[in-house]
Amino acid sequence: MRAILALFGAVMLAWALASPAQAHRQKITISTVSHNERTGMLEVVHQVPIHDAEHALRQLGERAPDIIGNTESRHAFARYVAEKFSIVRGAEPISLDLLGTQIEGGNLVILQEAPSPGRGAELQVRSQILSAMFSTQENRVNLGIGTRVQTLVFQSGDRAKSGLLP
Amino acid sequence: MRLIALLFAFFVAFPLQAQGIQQTKGNFEDKFRQLDEVLADPNVYRNASGAPGHQYWQQQADYRINATLDEDARRLTARATVTYKNNSPDTLPWIWMQLDQNIFKKDSMSELTNTFGGPGRRGPAVSAASGRAPAKLSMAELRRQQAMEDNTYGYDIKRVALSNGRTLDTTIVGTLMRIDLPTPLRPGASVSFNIDWSFNIVEENVIFARSGYEHFPDDPREGGNDIFLFAQWFPRLVAYSDYEGWHNKEFLGRGEFTLEFGNYDVTMTVPDDHIVSSTGVLANPTAVLTAQQRQRLAQARNADAPMFIVTPEEAEANEATGPTGNKSWRFTAKNVRDFAWGSSRKFAWDAQGHKQPGAENSTVMAMSFYPKEGGELWQKYSTAAVVHTMKVYSRFSFDYPYPTAQSVNGPVGGMEYPMITFNGPRTTLQDDGTRTYSESEKVFLVGVVIHEIGHIYFPMTVNSDERQWTWMDEGINSFLDSVAGYEWDPDMPWTRSLPRDLIPYMTSSQQVPIMTQSDSVLNLGPNAYGKPSAAYHILRDTILGRERFDFAMREYARRWKFKRPTPTDFFRTMEEASGTDLDWFWRGWFYTTDHVDISLDTIHKLRIDTKNPDIDLARRRQEVADEPEKVGVRLNREQGMPIWVMENPGITDFYDENDRFTVTPKDTKSYESFLEGLDDWERKVFDRAVEEDKNYYVLSFSNKGGLVMPIILGLAFADGTTEKMMIPAEIWRRNSRNVSKLLVFDKGKELTQVVLDPEWETADADVENNYYPRRIIDSRVEAFKRPAPTSRTGRDLMAEVLVKEEEKSEEEGTEPAAEPMMDQ
Repeated sequence: MRAILALFGAVMLAWALASPAQAHRQKITISTVSHNERTGMLEVVHQVPIHDAEHALRQLGERAPDIIGNTESRHAFARYVAEKFSIVRGAEPISLDLLGTQIEGGNLVILQEAPSPGRGAELQVRSQILSAMFSTQENRVNLGIGTRVQTLVFQSGDRAKSGLLP
Repeated sequence: MRLIALLFAFFVAFPLQAQGIQQTKGNFEDKFRQLDEVLADPNVYRNASGAPGHQYWQQQADYRINATLDEDARRLTARATVTYKNNSPDTLPWIWMQLDQNIFKKDSMSELTNTFGGPGRRGPAVSAASGRAPAKLSMAELRRQQAMEDNTYGYDIKRVALSNGRTLDTTIVGTLMRIDLPTPLRPGASVSFNIDWSFNIVEENVIFARSGYEHFPDDPREGGNDIFLFAQWFPRLVAYSDYEGWHNKEFLGRGEFTLEFGNYDVTMTVPDDHIVSSTGVLANPTAVLTAQQRQRLAQARNADAPMFIVTPEEAEANEATGPTGNKSWRFTAKNVRDFAWGSSRKFAWDAQGHKQPGAENSTVMAMSFYPKEGGELWQKYSTAAVVHTMKVYSRFSFDYPYPTAQSVNGPVGGMEYPMITFNGPRTTLQDDGTRTYSESEKVFLVGVVIHEIGHIYFPMTVNSDERQWTWMDEGINSFLDSVAGYEWDPDMPWTRSLPRDLIPYMTSSQQVPIMTQSDSVLNLGPNAYGKPSAAYHILRDTILGRERFDFAMREYARRWKFKRPTPTDFFRTMEEASGTDLDWFWRGWFYTTDHVDISLDTIHKLRIDTKNPDIDLARRRQEVADEPEKVGVRLNREQGMPIWVMENPGITDFYDENDRFTVTPKDTKSYESFLEGLDDWERKVFDRAVEEDKNYYVLSFSNKGGLVMPIILGLAFADGTTEKMMIPAEIWRRNSRNVSKLLVFDKGKELTQVVLDPEWETADADVENNYYPRRIIDSRVEAFKRPAPTSRTGRDLMAEVLVKEEEKSEEEGTEPAAEPMMDQ
């Protein structure tokens, strides 16, 4: 009984609109976390399909979001992404600066950075971008760029996963 | 215990056996090994060149269906007469049918195996418990559960009987039904039988389906209106093929369909104020359309732009009132592998004839059906995109093979059927009553219409098996939709399936090969859509070239039009028609999870020695002179240290006058005897090489990603000229890890820089090791921070936006708006 109560205690708030089936919604984001040797920064680049981002904003209550044409929409979505993506080292969350966004093909790219803890640092990463909205959402985080990549995959509700920053 | 040990041994042995050939010594990897044991054996049904064999056969399933929609009860009741012709060489004791609606039964395999969260989940969002966080359900999930509890979904099969009335025994296994025949069906024989069934229609948004109804509670008509979309709505024959027999694989929701071709004659009885859009051609226009509608339809056949058959105003008036009875619409369709339709009183309808001179269907009616919620977005772009798709896709395949091509707006985001597609994008209603749409919504409409209409070619006509190999149709279709997208508007931010887009996925450590059964693929988007599409872009624009690729793609489409190809047939046809061994390409891209990362490690410059001591020794002297001074000597000089020879100038000998590069008579003699020792042809070659004095460079490459690819070089020379050169992938055939290549350029043509894959054609993951000499490559973030001209789809500097917002809130004396609430 207690379990059931806990379950219902945690019912998510209703979304304004149910999401219609989108046979061609990609339901995938890929975030790349890498150490920049030259600048000493930890660089984070998120790729989110534009149309998914816009549908998410609509579910968040924005009436007529426009990711391509309206920077306010993009800004709102970038802040949402920043909220749903976290990196912790030890017990300390790494505070990522939001640099901005860019459109690249069918993707919205969101860029963040912070001083890097350096190569080999163990990071606890969690990505829940769009996870609360789309059931089949999958978020991938690549630690490292180029050929040496460790991938962490997140489904809805997954806890932080750890990996070493190459 | 012994038994267990034996079993265990079997399981361990199996994967080894499955690998066939193995390299058991050393680490040589043959990336060019032919796909001998990987591809299916050629036979009389599918030949070794990838074409249908001389005894190719496929079954035929014809349907005559009468269906009645009970709008209020949201229930469909129907009877079909199915005629099944056995063209196989086998005698069939039974027939299997697909009961796709049974996926919505409470005890279906799909329902029972749907995980709570996790990959492959279908349905509303939920999240599993983790750590101290309890599990979460969404309102949408609760609504779905309640709908499942309150309604009985799935087929209610009333009766299966021969035309003479004799009832046939059936066995239902989940989404499949076996019909036992009174006498086995012999090769070449046909059987006809009737099926009576009904089912409750699911609410698409609630149940998460590929079809169903959508309710519009706010419509002016009391009780609102619905749009009904019917797909997987009748018991469909399970495919019986030469390579798998009966394809009786349970419908789990994601792997789409494996189907047989047939002719259809379908009558649907619906409320008399509905407009029906359907696979096929309307066979009784006088019974269901007004004279005015028929006249408009005739005019639209020759129109240059879409024309209304039912105007938006007429549709809005129609949806405000109710029906007075029923009407029966009859559609016939020839040689289709499926049949779908939509029905609503909300539909506006536009049409335009697309001309294909000389084709079997010289005029194709491109049509769209949409409610007021589709609005201007649909009026402007839906039918236009349908026509555009046919123009582009036919170049890569064959004339559009059917008389109609339709795009219907309803609750389904994007789904394809023969002659009809369901597409989701819509306008947004503003407070002032107007309807608007964002650029992304427009791009999505154009993109999704192109994609879904494209599916009428692949797989509705080139009938690949979607249940097994989603990538076969989705890969070609994503590739072609990006080609059609370029030709619609090159700047349209639609495609995510170019080689450069796939790098983050292809380098990731968690992925499966493209050749994985669809229900088991971890992430279908990049795996079945993006990656094969990127592969085809590379094949077309880099490896084969457009002429040979397009020829081969057309040949594949032509060979398998209205037939059932397998991956083996596709791979073989592309090789045979392009005249190129592509086994290495299929192996790398489709059978492995390697990615592309080729590094240009070193370049060494060589010069031919003339052997003439007068020339060569002078060169050596110059080389030594060009070396930097020894550091110790420099420091001594700077410190003013005395040097013995300088302080004893009177003591000199021969060696003070002549260095070690001085030509001696011995050197000259040795040169003369070298020349004398040459054969005539050697002398000729040598003299010419000395005369030409070309520049020789040895470039060393390493393959860090594993995937072998052509080496594309951008060469820059001291004289300011540039050249592009492509070395075929076969350079890696004897050593797939390290190779060297000699490049020779004329005297005076000195190489200053080499860039690998300068146009980002191959999905090379690391650009930094593509430059020689190495250069500092901006990271994504660094590049973003550099000031650059902004473009329409350019960057948005958050800092600027934040500054603006701050100013604004200071002006207004208010705090910036709080973030919208997310999950709790």
